[in-house]
Amino acid sequence: MIVAAFATEAAMREAAAEIRRGDPGGVETYMAMEPGEAQGGAEGGSVLPAVMLCGGVAGGLGGFLMQAYATTISYPQNIGGRPDLSWPAYIPTTFELAVLGAVVAGMAGFLVLAGMPRLYDPVDLAEGMRAAMLGGYVLVARPADAARARQVLSRHAAIGIEDVAE
Amino acid sequence: MSGPAVIAPVVAPGETAQSLTERICAVTLREGARPWTPLWWWAAFAVSLGLLGIGVIAVGWLFYAGLGIWGIDWPVVWGLDILNYVWWIAIASGGTFISALFFLLGVEWRTALNRLAESLTLCAALCAAIFPILHLGRPWFFYWLFPYPNTMGLWAQFRSPLVWDFFAILTYVLASILFWYFGLLPDLATLRDRAQGQGRRVFYGVLALGFRGSGRQWRHYRSVYAVMAALMAPLVVSVHSIVGMDFAGSAATGWHSTQFPPFFVFGAALSGFAVVLLAILPLRSLLGLHAYVTERHIDVLGRLFLTSSLCVGYAYVMDAFSTFYGPDEADRTMFLMRVFGLYAPVYWGTILLNIVFPQLLWWRSVRLTQPLVWLIGLGVLVGMWLERFQIIVTSLARTQLPSAWGHYTPTIWEWSLLFGTIGLFLTTFLLIVRLMPVVAMAEMRAMLRGPA
Repeated sequence: MIVAAFATEAAMREAAAEIRRGDPGGVETYMAMEPGEAQGGAEGGSVLPAVMLCGGVAGGLGGFLMQAYATTISYPQNIGGRPDLSWPAYIPTTFELAVLGAVVAGMAGFLVLAGMPRLYDPVDLAEGMRAAMLGGYVLVARPADAARARQVLSRHAAIGIEDVAE
Repeated sequence: MSGPAVIAPVVAPGETAQSLTERICAVTLREGARPWTPLWWWAAFAVSLGLLGIGVIAVGWLFYAGLGIWGIDWPVVWGLDILNYVWWIAIASGGTFISALFFLLGVEWRTALNRLAESLTLCAALCAAIFPILHLGRPWFFYWLFPYPNTMGLWAQFRSPLVWDFFAILTYVLASILFWYFGLLPDLATLRDRAQGQGRRVFYGVLALGFRGSGRQWRHYRSVYAVMAALMAPLVVSVHSIVGMDFAGSAATGWHSTQFPPFFVFGAALSGFAVVLLAILPLRSLLGLHAYVTERHIDVLGRLFLTSSLCVGYAYVMDAFSTFYGPDEADRTMFLMRVFGLYAPVYWGTILLNIVFPQLLWWRSVRLTQPLVWLIGLGVLVGMWLERFQIIVTSLARTQLPSAWGHYTPTIWEWSLLFGTIGLFLTTFLLIVRLMPVVAMAEMRAMLRGPA
């Protein structure tokens, strides 16, 4: 595994893009803020908004059906002559449970897709990684062709290049 | 009435991602030249713990002796318990409004404030959540509110706003915790990598869950954060609407009004912005945040504060108008008693503190005079408490039946519980201020980089 630090986000992105061209999937970048669009950081979208939508629909639908079941089948009560299936009264609880379902699905989905919790990772052994969350720009390559990757990294003015055993 | 528009910057000139990281980490980690926790923190913490202790005694005695130790009785069956609940949950709203609503609107002044504001939300929501449980009378059966399969074959009454409220609070507390924690992940990772001591590294490392700022993590992080914010904004409106419906759903005089849901949202915004100002103004100096919380923030918060005060004023006018335009004699009797009767000082105190004093904020010079803004904010918190007193107590004290009229005097156990929750609020908030990064560093870095 090759770990390289960069002075700017743009340099890191260009190096990553070039290594990726010959070897897709062999590169990951690390930095302390959201990648900027202007710096070419928008690398595809995320499936998580869709997951959150599903979580919200599940929460809302589940909540509505639970209330409908409770008030019509399990425990029907005549309150002021209102129908058992008094659906307008279910809307607030349905909404709240939909939001809860979406938020929990988003958090859980994030942990799964971001590979967390992961308290130890081989990249932690690299000195350069210490700076990643402090404002640095770090590139980690697991290239098929290490020599080519090193060449690319030095051409893009990597500050420090380390070899780390996996 | 504002002076010439000299707009202060959102961040002091010369600040960089580097200086920001150093400054904010130094506040939390204290590993530089001044490693000790400052005296003001210990002093405030001691006072908070004292208040919290009073609350613990009040709750302990309540559990032992039962609800009879409170002043609530027929006809005023809701007293300080519900009053404090509504007051705290409204205070909690400020963080969500600032953090979620203004994230969606893409305003840049929000970034320096959102962490502290969200933390205030969390602490206040915690205080609010205690009261409905304590006032159940048999609080150990609180889990009966959950819809779960039980041998009694019973369900909660889903047509009741009180049950809606249970779900609203449950969702609001859980979603606020998750939103706050999710936003913290990158900053916890920064503290983990910055901390010198082994214990601190482990503490922040475990909390950061292994966030390393990889491209993959950021890609998903950004999407989830945006959707969470989009959900939190309507959630906070729904929570306060439902709190309003807790009252509007009843046929009590003065409560049965369709304007209550927005009325409570306005009140929530007012007390929410007030508490954010109350916390930000001193912390700005105490934590050395002048570079990030500038006069621009204080000015903007002052404007929002004034706007929500005007909204609340509109609600008060409509409350009076619909009472006298409507057909109900009992409503009018109650309202006149509210304005001129035994509890008149509460009504006029509400008007003075929530509506009249905040009008000073029309002047920019007042908005930037921090001690004055702080006092107006404190006044609004007291005023909002008085507002809930007049809504809850005077309505119940003057029901439709004159033979059922009564009054309410809170006992020392209700007062001590109120001060106990103030202690709980301050204790949890001070711990967060001490242990967590007080400014969202990752978001600030992205802002300092310039437009994405």
